[in-house]
Amino acid sequence: MNIIERIMVEPFERFYEKLLVFLPNLITSLILLVIGVLLGIFVKWIFHRIFRTMNLDALSQKSGMRDALSRSGFREPLSLVLSRILKWLTIITFIIVAMQNLSIPTVEHLIDRMFLYLPNIFIAALILILGYILGNFFGRASIIASVNAGMTSAGLIGKAVKATVFILSCTMALEQLGIGKETIIIAFAIVFGGIVFAFSIAFGFGGKDMAKNYLRKKMKEPKGEDDEIDHL
Amino acid sequence: MESVIRPDKIEDGIKSIDNADILVGIPSYNNAKTIGHVVRAVQGGFAKYFPDKKTVLVNSDGGSTDGTMDVVQSATIDSLQSILLSHKVNPFVRIATPYHGIPGKGSAFRKIFEIADSLRVKACAVVDSDLRSITPEWIELLIKPVMEGEFDYVAPLYQRHKYDGTITNSIIYPLTRALYGKRVRQPIGGDFGFSGRLAKFYLSEKVWETDVARYGIDIWMTTTAIANGFKVCQSYLGAKIHDPKDPGSDLSAMLYQVVGSTFDLMDTYSSVWKGVEGSETIPTFGFHYDVGLEPVAVNLERMIDRFCLGVQELGFVWKDVLSPGLFDFFRDLANPCRQDFAIPDEAWVDTIFSFAHAAHRKTLNREHLLRSLTPLYIGRVASFVMETSDSSALEVEEKIETLCKIFESKKKDLLNNWD
Repeated sequence: MNIIERIMVEPFERFYEKLLVFLPNLITSLILLVIGVLLGIFVKWIFHRIFRTMNLDALSQKSGMRDALSRSGFREPLSLVLSRILKWLTIITFIIVAMQNLSIPTVEHLIDRMFLYLPNIFIAALILILGYILGNFFGRASIIASVNAGMTSAGLIGKAVKATVFILSCTMALEQLGIGKETIIIAFAIVFGGIVFAFSIAFGFGGKDMAKNYLRKKMKEPKGEDDEIDHL
Repeated sequence: MESVIRPDKIEDGIKSIDNADILVGIPSYNNAKTIGHVVRAVQGGFAKYFPDKKTVLVNSDGGSTDGTMDVVQSATIDSLQSILLSHKVNPFVRIATPYHGIPGKGSAFRKIFEIADSLRVKACAVVDSDLRSITPEWIELLIKPVMEGEFDYVAPLYQRHKYDGTITNSIIYPLTRALYGKRVRQPIGGDFGFSGRLAKFYLSEKVWETDVARYGIDIWMTTTAIANGFKVCQSYLGAKIHDPKDPGSDLSAMLYQVVGSTFDLMDTYSSVWKGVEGSETIPTFGFHYDVGLEPVAVNLERMIDRFCLGVQELGFVWKDVLSPGLFDFFRDLANPCRQDFAIPDEAWVDTIFSFAHAAHRKTLNREHLLRSLTPLYIGRVASFVMETSDSSALEVEEKIETLCKIFESKKKDLLNNWD
């Protein structure tokens, strides 16, 4: 009887006792989850209104961010995208709190590590967004300047500037995440240096005559080729 | 006969002069070759037309390294008898001083206004330092309407080559005329006369850290005078011949500053121009005569290439600015890139109004928006050059008049979309 009690009943009793301790936590966690979802919906609603009052969509249009988002597949206005991000941040926060409330050591350990890493993800995301916006801005500025300077490769220059700024921001973001820190910096330096070196060689050998003509034209441009219009 | 105030003694010099009747300002930057002639013309003007007035010449310099200020201090008419003067002439004071602030013509003017205000002058004029065609009569024509005619602002009226002043002819004159209703033919001419009262008003405006401090000063002075109800007139000065333009001067920067200032003023004075319909002539002084003008070289092929390149590469910027119809029109015009294209007046007016509207709405970064106008402007100039290749000066003026009327008739479209 004692053996049966020890083998069969005691584990169930222990399970029952643990369940009694765990069940309130589980219920609390479920409640937290529901509150998190509801609060997330509310946060999205209220921030969407605030962003629209701030005229954020017009600002994003002006800065070129709207175009950037649109090209990245986000057709919605920036105010909606941001309020959605805030909604999911709220929900995820509540999910984490709910999971921690379960008091499972493995989960707690994982969450602790995640929390320590979270700022890196946030900063990396910020760097990427900023890189994308700056890439578009400088890309547009350089294409306009190149067109006004009469450079036939204006489109290529614009794209190159845009890509360079974005790649630089990717490198910084990966460095922030601690992924292959030195490898990425070295790789970037090799690729970037290689491109410059390739251009130098190509221009030096392939475009020797072109370079000569260009410099000659710059140094001694015949007067007859210029317009003499006084625009003002 | 005359006194020179050195740059390190400006404050004391102004205090010792105390007051003056007339002040003529010359902004400069490395103009040693030409400024001597301008100084002598001003001196001749003072002696010939205002012998009994207390006169001051101010050179506001942007840090010249070629001795411009030394030339200003030393240039003089050797004998007044050479300009047929025998009467007694009051001495005139010349001040050569560097200005501070943003480098540009506007900052130079600010210094001139400050000195004019300190000396409580009755009438002022500003003339460019690279002028080769200035005569003593210019001083009379710019100053007398203020001294004797009770005008506050005298704009210049020049005879220019049909291909000169293209920003003026295709954008600034028609737009300013349509907006504010006054036919000031050279609103950004560069040589102006104005009252001491108006100089004081200019100084009180808080614009000296903006593009007004650069190329924007001319349109700002004209628009501010008109929009604030000052009495405006113009004087015929003959031909405007000046040093060849600086090859390094950037057209897109020029266009950005001038058009940007004009668009900014549209925001500042929207309550004024919204109520204006049509336009009226303003009093014009001076004896009108024809002068021979030097031919102007135009590289049409390069202009068309620039326009086509712009259409090819900047479509993504313009699609948010121009209406779909106008955008398609430019795209079709440049594909394929032909040498025989035309941008009609209506399309050009719609383009300028679209850019003005986009600047007002802040649709795009301001500098990107305005600089992206350059290829379209070059296209319009190319179209104008082709259209007027066989036209006389009078016929060209008639074409500009037609363009102005279209600006005026389409103003209601701009108004409807403004708010």
